Amino acid sequence: MKLTATQSTRKSPSRCLIQPASDMTPSFNFDATDVNIVAQLRLNGRANNQQVADKLGLTATTVSTRIKRMEDANQLRVVAVSDFAAHGFNFLLRISVEVDGRPASEVANDLAELPQVFAVHLVTGRYDIDMLVALHDFDDLATLLLDKLSTVSGIRTLTPAIVVDIIKYQFDVAPIEGRG
Amino acid sequence: MPTPVLDALDHQLINLLSRDARVSNRKIAAELGVTEGTVRGRIKRLQQDGLIAFTAVTGFEMARKSRLSFINVQADVDKVREVARAISDLPQINAVLITMGQFNITAMCLIEELDALVEIASDQILSINGVHHVETSIAVKTMKYNARMAKITSHQVVDEDSED
Repeated sequence: MKLTATQSTRKSPSRCLIQPASDMTPSFNFDATDVNIVAQLRLNGRANNQQVADKLGLTATTVSTRIKRMEDANQLRVVAVSDFAAHGFNFLLRISVEVDGRPASEVANDLAELPQVFAVHLVTGRYDIDMLVALHDFDDLATLLLDKLSTVSGIRTLTPAIVVDIIKYQFDVAPIEGRG
Repeated sequence: MPTPVLDALDHQLINLLSRDARVSNRKIAAELGVTEGTVRGRIKRLQQDGLIAFTAVTGFEMARKSRLSFINVQADVDKVREVARAISDLPQINAVLITMGQFNITAMCLIEELDALVEIASDQILSINGVHHVETSIAVKTMKYNARMAKITSHQVVDEDSED
């Protein structure tokens, strides 16, 4: 069942999302019908219940019930993903951070507060924190560095990498937060 | 990519659809005070321009792959594009960025176990012609991730307007 799900996402031309590990919701069982419905939604997230039902030989009510059950368990969201460019973010940076004299998780929490910071992860390896920053243009960099990052204590070094091209970006798993 | 011109209505639409993509055009139209035809047309245009795409995101119970991992690659400068494409062809790889910095390619993947990461990085990627060095790092905890924004690369854009 797990395999079916992964394969279907691979083949799917649909856009996708990201990952991380922290907030797992305990045990929810997907059966074959759930997996098939998700596969259909990955092909076309805007398909209505009837269209999904027709493809799978189910009733629209079953489709609706199953989707609601997965959504209520925070195991499924059907969403629009928008491109960085749609928000005017034309300048992306990946910044690796070395921390000194302060717990890395505290520094990471402070960094997560900054609106320019799009993703923050505590990581293993040479650096302690990995973050992705989205800026409108080059001028925003001065603001970020001099007004924002300079106020976060515990940062020893910042090693930036300017993103010049994105060849692939396909994530279909994400931490799903409850709907507020 | 040319800088797209989006107006307030486009942004309202994107905002609504990024919370739930299954809302009907009728409901969106009512909420935003425009006609269904306008909603349909706008969505279609945003999709065609590669600015939005619809997808189903599942939690970890279904995917079971829970660790985001970074593979930092140093490759020959004159082979960066080829190498990046070769890496993006690996089915386990979710994202590939070409960067200017200490490394010239960053690949990201979701792994279940450490062995899988070592296999991808040290066997598959390191053996690609033009790759000199790889380093891996694993996200142990994620403080923030905005999953509603991404790069919509051209080959991924598909969906159509479904309400016919």
